[in-house]
Amino acid sequence: MFKAIVSAETLKTTLDSVSVLVDECKVHLDEDGIEIRAVDPANVGMVDLRLSAEAFESYEADGGVIGVNLSRLEDIAGMADSGQLVELELDEETRKLHIQIDGLEYTLALIDPDSIRQEPDIPDLDLSAEVVIEGKDINRAVKASDMVSDHIALGVDASDELFYVDAEGDTDDVHLELTTEQLIDLQAGDARSLFSLDYLKDMNKAIPADAEVTLELGEEFPLKIKFPIAEGQGSVLFVLAPRIQSD
Amino acid sequence: MRLDDYIEGLEPDESARRRQLAAEKSYAITEYLEDFQSRFEETVQGDSLYGATAPSIFVGRTNYPNVSTGLLSPVADGDPTDFVTDGQWYQQGLGVGDVVERRTGLLNSRRRANVNVEDVWDGFVGVQREVAIAGDPVDVEIGLDGTLDLDLDVGEGVATPTGPSASATSVDLTENPHVPRPVKKTLEDDDWQAQGAMTYLYRRGLDVYDINRVLSAGALGQGENRRLVPTRWSITAVDDTIGQYLRGQLRHAPSVDSVEVRMNEYMGNRFWVVLAPGQWEFELVEMKAPGSVWNPDPTGDIWMGSASEGYEGRTGYVDETAGAYYASRLGVLEHLADRGRQAKCLVLREVSDDYWAPVGVWQVRESVRNAFDGTPWHSVEEDAVDDSLAGEHGEAETFHGAVRTIAQRLPVSDERLRRKSDLVAGVQRSLGDF
Repeated sequence: MFKAIVSAETLKTTLDSVSVLVDECKVHLDEDGIEIRAVDPANVGMVDLRLSAEAFESYEADGGVIGVNLSRLEDIAGMADSGQLVELELDEETRKLHIQIDGLEYTLALIDPDSIRQEPDIPDLDLSAEVVIEGKDINRAVKASDMVSDHIALGVDASDELFYVDAEGDTDDVHLELTTEQLIDLQAGDARSLFSLDYLKDMNKAIPADAEVTLELGEEFPLKIKFPIAEGQGSVLFVLAPRIQSD
Repeated sequence: MRLDDYIEGLEPDESARRRQLAAEKSYAITEYLEDFQSRFEETVQGDSLYGATAPSIFVGRTNYPNVSTGLLSPVADGDPTDFVTDGQWYQQGLGVGDVVERRTGLLNSRRRANVNVEDVWDGFVGVQREVAIAGDPVDVEIGLDGTLDLDLDVGEGVATPTGPSASATSVDLTENPHVPRPVKKTLEDDDWQAQGAMTYLYRRGLDVYDINRVLSAGALGQGENRRLVPTRWSITAVDDTIGQYLRGQLRHAPSVDSVEVRMNEYMGNRFWVVLAPGQWEFELVEMKAPGSVWNPDPTGDIWMGSASEGYEGRTGYVDETAGAYYASRLGVLEHLADRGRQAKCLVLREVSDDYWAPVGVWQVRESVRNAFDGTPWHSVEEDAVDDSLAGEHGEAETFHGAVRTIAQRLPVSDERLRRKSDLVAGVQRSLGDF
């Protein structure tokens, strides 16, 4: 059983955070909210999303799992204006999702969850540095780096207590340093890892400009990006594997 | 003598410049071409080219969809199959000069035609298509309008340097071409998409050279989509399609166990191929010396270009490396598919100024193929001392260790290589590694 009403904005934000990595996913419809966990086919980027029942206008569920084609559902959600509400109801008999937007009815065929790629375990990582930063600063760093290179180094200098971004292209360079004053918070430990901008650009799209984003970093280790959605009633965690220089 | 001594102050256009380059590097070619006119006149009787044997076709790309399309037939004596571009040319050890000689020994009897050829099996284009799908060279009789355009055009780098051409007024088959059975099958099925049909032909043992001819003649694909494909485009299309097929086969294959380094050298091109454990990732980095084709300024810097793809392939076209990317990727994927392994692969291509005329991407394809299991190339032009690793390989502890060792022998600094190459900057790890 699943029946919910949610604002179009919250629904779109939720779907966008997942669709940057995968085309289809399993959605867990738990009693206290939904959870989506997915990893891209190359096993490089992962998302773990939670949206609590409080993020919905109304929410009833009893722990089922559905498989969803994300671009289909995004298209439908795109039919709603930002102020509008979207009604979702699962038909257990037909295994279809009924969607209603201001009189517009759409019936979405679901995918057998067993045919969707297995959900990943969140890797247990011991990351040495934690940076809390505004979403717009990540956007700035990613956008500038993308002008010169295909990859970006993120690091923390423990002694100078700063977070930095480096991008090296054929001829041009981008460098950005943010000190503790410019950051919301910094738990410094030496860290530096290189990441593919293809992935980071996509993840960046899902990060709201005004969000407080927590980055966890290590030495040639995966990056964790955590930020709240739906006015704090939900959260997104991205994990991104690095490009390695040492082996 | 340097190129600019030769043509100082002339501000020549690109093709004139390359012709001069050709003249400087090998006088034999110019002599050969001077000799050509007389040989041509001997072969052409009246305004017909009797008893010519056409092993191949050519479809131009300028003015698409109204393209220049031609039958290639050797004017010189000899086995017509020798004039077919394929892997044999590497095995026979042809040098740049030999290739230019063979290419320019092919008369292109051409006509303008529209590329829409769904049901065209008569007239000039019809005969051309029959030649293309035949398994062996076909005897034809070509009527020419008599004027010969004797222009050594070495401008078409991906495709070929082309030889002389003449306008054809008529063409007739003088024998029934033999069409291989798999080609017949793809030809008859006009509901079969071109990509699938290409893959089928490959699985049935046709090499990319044969598939390219069939595709170019518009003999593959769904009926309404069948059209002549310019030679240059079809070469890349076939390399890319077969490459994607092989890559798909390897999606869940285990990885190679160790870092393997191979080297092969052919026609002034040196290829380093590094395979490393991990999920599929591929990059071609090209370094072209000043004075080589595509970097004609002899005083300039080494030109660098690169293109890469990750586990899921790439979507955009490869601007910097063009067809060489798909040709080298095919060579690597064929080897990996043989072993049933996937790998991270870096191909470094060093072009010296000995590479003075573009011979076509087959040279890249065969060099990489033979780096794995072929024989080292022994030049027929000179007794080159070959320290090539073709057919064997060295091993290294780590990918970046291997690259550092190779980098000492490259003409560019470590820094430039790292800035240009995604893989040298860092190889992608997956979350499962942590």
